[in-house]
Amino acid sequence: MSNVYRPPARICLLPLLFILFSFGGPVCALETGDPAPAFSLPRLGGDTPLALADLRGKLVYVDFWASWCGPCRKSLPLYEEMQASFPANRFRIIAINLDEDREDVLHFLASRPVSYPILLDPEGVTASQWQIRVMPSSFLLDTDGAIVKAWVGFELSHIEEIKNEVRSLLR
Amino acid sequence: MKSAHCSVKPRLRAGPYFLMFASSLIILSACAPVQPWERGRLAQPQMALDGDALLWAMDEHVYSSKEAASGGGGAAGGGCGCN
Repeated sequence: MSNVYRPPARICLLPLLFILFSFGGPVCALETGDPAPAFSLPRLGGDTPLALADLRGKLVYVDFWASWCGPCRKSLPLYEEMQASFPANRFRIIAINLDEDREDVLHFLASRPVSYPILLDPEGVTASQWQIRVMPSSFLLDTDGAIVKAWVGFELSHIEEIKNEVRSLLR
Repeated sequence: MKSAHCSVKPRLRAGPYFLMFASSLIILSACAPVQPWERGRLAQPQMALDGDALLWAMDEHVYSSKEAASGGGGAAGGGCGCN
């Protein structure tokens, strides 16, 4: 019989459990009805920052995107058409870019220019406040700045869903 | 009368286990999940494990026919993790 101390199996499991839980991220995310976190971010090609509070009274569609994200690249020109489908005094699209390098944004938008405001958040501070888990993520806000609906990722079918939501809210 | 081996106290050698636990704590203190907006560099083509999808598919086809088995070729790697 060996007289070497063998720790119980549960003690050996402790480091393993610690490793597993170390990689677990928070699961909470913004939900329907939550007030949208306020932000004031610099505009691409503009001098004055744009704050979410400036758009109070309008429906706002906020999209978090980056030039290196394939679905985001597909979605931006489609949002341009979507903005044109609704009156700008009642519905506005805001695209918050999360590229670290501004040159990448300029390079992408040179070939696919958009008319709606592109805001810059290279440090991801606003993205962190909005608890972004997937790129792209987007939110439709009502006239009081509360979240009506959130979309995770992007698919072509989202465009019609967003349009339907906006139509029903504008009625 | 007690048997002889019952009186022998086990030598406590918990030190290595404690050291393993402590070192895992130290190593993991630097771990942080990559946020979705921090994957720009991971999304670069140079970070892809299979740079050319067609070439990779052909290699995989040849490999599976030689080995008479397929699968298990996937692994986590680069990419933007989008959608």
